[in-house]
Amino acid sequence: MEKKNLTTMQARNMQDVTTASKIMGIIVKIGVYLFLGIMALIVLFPFYWMIISSLKTMDEYRQTIPTFFPKVIMWSNYVNAFNTANLGRLFANTLFVGVVSTGLSLVITVLSAFAFARLEFKGKDAMFGALLATMMIPGELFTITNYLTINNLQWMYTFQALIIPFLVSVFYIYLLRQNFLQIPNELYLAAKVDGTSDLKYLWKVMVPLAKPTLISITILKMMGAWNTYIWPKLVANDDAHQLITNGLRNAFTDASGQVNIPEQMAAVAIVSAPLFLVFLFLRKYIMAGVSRSGIKG
Amino acid sequence: MKVVLQNLTKIFPSRDKKSGKEVVAVNDFTFEIPDGKLIGLLGPSGCGKSTTLYMISGLQKPTSGKIFFGEDDVTELSTENRGIGLVFQNYALYPHMTVKQNILFPLENLKGADRLTKEEMLKRAHDAAALVQIDDLMDRKPNELSGGQQQRVAIARALVKMPRVLLLDEPLSNLDARLRLQTREEIRRIQKETGITTVFVTHDQEEAMSISDMIVVMKLGVLQQIGKPQDVYDDPVNLFVAKFLGTPPINVLEGEVKGGKVCIGGAAVAEAPGVADQPVYIGIRPEGFELDANGALECKLSNVEVMGRDVSIVSTHESSVNPVIRSIIDADYAIDREAETVRYNIKPHKLFVFNKETEERIYF
Amino acid sequence: MVDNKHQWKAWLYLAPAIVLLLVFTVWPIINTLLMAFQNGYSANLALAGKTFSFGIENFRKVLSYKRFTDCLFNTMILCVATVPISTMLALLIAVALNSIKPLQRTLQTIFFLPYVTNSIAIGMVFAAMFNIIGLRPDGAMADTWGIINNVIMFFGGEPVNWMNAGSGYWPNIVVMVVYIVWNALPFKILVLLGGLQSINKQYYDAAKVDGTPRRRVFSKITVPLLSPMIAYVVITGFIGGFKEYSSIVGVFGETMGPVHDAGRLNTMVGFIYDSLNTRAHGTASAAALILFLIILAVTMVNLQVSKKRVHF
Repeated sequence: MEKKNLTTMQARNMQDVTTASKIMGIIVKIGVYLFLGIMALIVLFPFYWMIISSLKTMDEYRQTIPTFFPKVIMWSNYVNAFNTANLGRLFANTLFVGVVSTGLSLVITVLSAFAFARLEFKGKDAMFGALLATMMIPGELFTITNYLTINNLQWMYTFQALIIPFLVSVFYIYLLRQNFLQIPNELYLAAKVDGTSDLKYLWKVMVPLAKPTLISITILKMMGAWNTYIWPKLVANDDAHQLITNGLRNAFTDASGQVNIPEQMAAVAIVSAPLFLVFLFLRKYIMAGVSRSGIKG
Repeated sequence: MKVVLQNLTKIFPSRDKKSGKEVVAVNDFTFEIPDGKLIGLLGPSGCGKSTTLYMISGLQKPTSGKIFFGEDDVTELSTENRGIGLVFQNYALYPHMTVKQNILFPLENLKGADRLTKEEMLKRAHDAAALVQIDDLMDRKPNELSGGQQQRVAIARALVKMPRVLLLDEPLSNLDARLRLQTREEIRRIQKETGITTVFVTHDQEEAMSISDMIVVMKLGVLQQIGKPQDVYDDPVNLFVAKFLGTPPINVLEGEVKGGKVCIGGAAVAEAPGVADQPVYIGIRPEGFELDANGALECKLSNVEVMGRDVSIVSTHESSVNPVIRSIIDADYAIDREAETVRYNIKPHKLFVFNKETEERIYF
Repeated sequence: MVDNKHQWKAWLYLAPAIVLLLVFTVWPIINTLLMAFQNGYSANLALAGKTFSFGIENFRKVLSYKRFTDCLFNTMILCVATVPISTMLALLIAVALNSIKPLQRTLQTIFFLPYVTNSIAIGMVFAAMFNIIGLRPDGAMADTWGIINNVIMFFGGEPVNWMNAGSGYWPNIVVMVVYIVWNALPFKILVLLGGLQSINKQYYDAAKVDGTPRRRVFSKITVPLLSPMIAYVVITGFIGGFKEYSSIVGVFGETMGPVHDAGRLNTMVGFIYDSLNTRAHGTASAAALILFLIILAVTMVNLQVSKKRVHF
């Protein structure tokens, strides 16, 4: 290489270059914020529309030129929606199914993840591989047979039909196993030396250390119960067992297909509120869980 | 291209908002880097040497002060318009590009009149690769290269646009000991061949001393001393610089100046004409000791380590600040290993006296 | 360390999971294969003692149904339209979010909100936004045009019958694409932003030193370094897209289409459930296997493409 510097780089009018790039930078910044602002408005708009529509009278809602804030605030829509859709019952059903299935699922997941992470047994790797392979298969493929199984077990229109088939999630076992594996094995060996039983070790050491993952699993599982639609519709769509999503979809459609939209929106808002509250308080866990899970619900 | 730093100061706002304490990374730094020299910015971690380098590069803006390249004030100029080459500590090679693509990358950014033709670009890339001797690795990806090879690619990428100033951030810290020796000679050679003003940052004084034309010693954001490596070593301005340079490190003892003599534990070891009586720190380089049965300084002998060419004598003295005093003596000298004590004369030019309070050098 | 005591203990810990998996995962896989290859299989008839001959009649029947090919077409259209749009938008938003400091967390939270919703519930909100018909107090039907049409008309466009009686196929699809994209953004933004934040800042410093223009930084550094994440969201996007069902129920209801053309927007998954309802278990199983094979194929193709494009 020649012993000289790049001449063109020196021959610039430095002042001009500096000002130009500064102005450019500001323009780009404004552009970025403008873009994000508009996108944020688009993302938020359905929520806004849901809330203001839920507070309007039917007449106001139907105006050709829409109002962006209700003239008369109809809190009564919420009361009506709650009664029309029988939301109290739906909430209770969903909460029951959610809590029971989350609790049982956590126990099963913790035990299995512990076995895969810490215990030695023949065929461990092969079995874990087989488990992971089932994650490739779409759930719809299981649904057909599971429907028949529930039918044969005479579990139609029972809560166990809603709970038991989904207690084991291979993905959660995988997630928790990875978490358990990060806990140094020396801790386990030390506990063994001290004569601590496996169960006690699991409960006193592993579970507390894996708490963030367990919280993520709990939230995702509860959200799953809140959002599930297809399976309950197949096996337990009667009033006594109906879950929130199913009840919501059907409550406001009359025979002619006409809907009291403000009341419907009020019901949607009521159903959405718990999710938002949970999100507000447990944002960190939800985002951590979701970024690893991939598929909704 | 000479580089001038004028009253350069960088203050980082505190991360802890409550205490509101700012961090002064670089404090009123003034220095001129002569054209075509290799400069080592040296100091312990947190001394502001990397911040100084990043301010020269333009990736960080100084809080106050000015930077000149030659006669141009580049303080407000953005990085890309400064015409510098920067080699990052972790090399920052693009992992998805081959060596060739990495080296070509800066050239492909040039626009308008600066834009080269495809052939010129390839020629320049090959020249740069040949200079750092990686022209046979052009189609590899960075993760297929050893640390030393990655380092060379990073240097080639920095050189390919023929920068006015080349900056290297801890260029040797990610290499193993053997490669480090080899690569630092390499950096020296490349700098000589290209004649580009080069500044590199390091915390390793040996590294800086061995290849730099000049070293700049920094401490807590404040410039301590600038000079040729040998001059700084032979003539440190304060205790910090004296302690920072040299392996094994300088021996520091507590003592006093009394009646124009430097005394350690009552024994006069050197003359200090015209210096007022005061307590002082005394620094003695390991090679500044001479064995002498009638020597002024008596130490308890604890160990003799043979190093081949030299012998290192480990001894103790109650005035010593360090746990032991280490001296380096020619191996031809006969040493009585069984002796209880050992006596030294001190070579006057290897002994430095520092004010006990300010730790500044006392000249005489 | 491996002794017999550990052996049986491990199996004890695994027992609940294994029993449930055998019944609700392993048996369904076997049974689905069995049902799919018994011509005209129906579990109810089988219980009554009827036997079925083995063969591939179910698959032939499924593929010859116009209803099925329509479902397949709908599913494909939704995939092909929503995956690229949502990935591009999510990439732009993630890059923009990554480049700002003030408001970053607030905006990030806003963009995540659609994730924490019930897809049926918010589908109903979208239906309300696109709906153009209401009842006047006197009981007569009236065009309200709906908020979306009002916005279109505000910008000087023509109102469209998006989803009510008499609406066309493509407007229906547009409604679904808008909703699915809105719904798919949060996850993609989350993953891509996470990927962006884990890219070493030094690459950007290096690019800056070399005076790389913004567009080139995006195309030559950001996108390649983000390619594993992009591949991930594209693959999961396709898998989710092929299983699309409840978002359509949310917007259109169980009619799976506008009132005058029920089932128009039905999807593969919808077809499977319809077959289940008519007790055509052989057909349902065959359709489910076809869905599985398509997802497998699409995933393989995606992996192949990304192997060439993903650089690590």
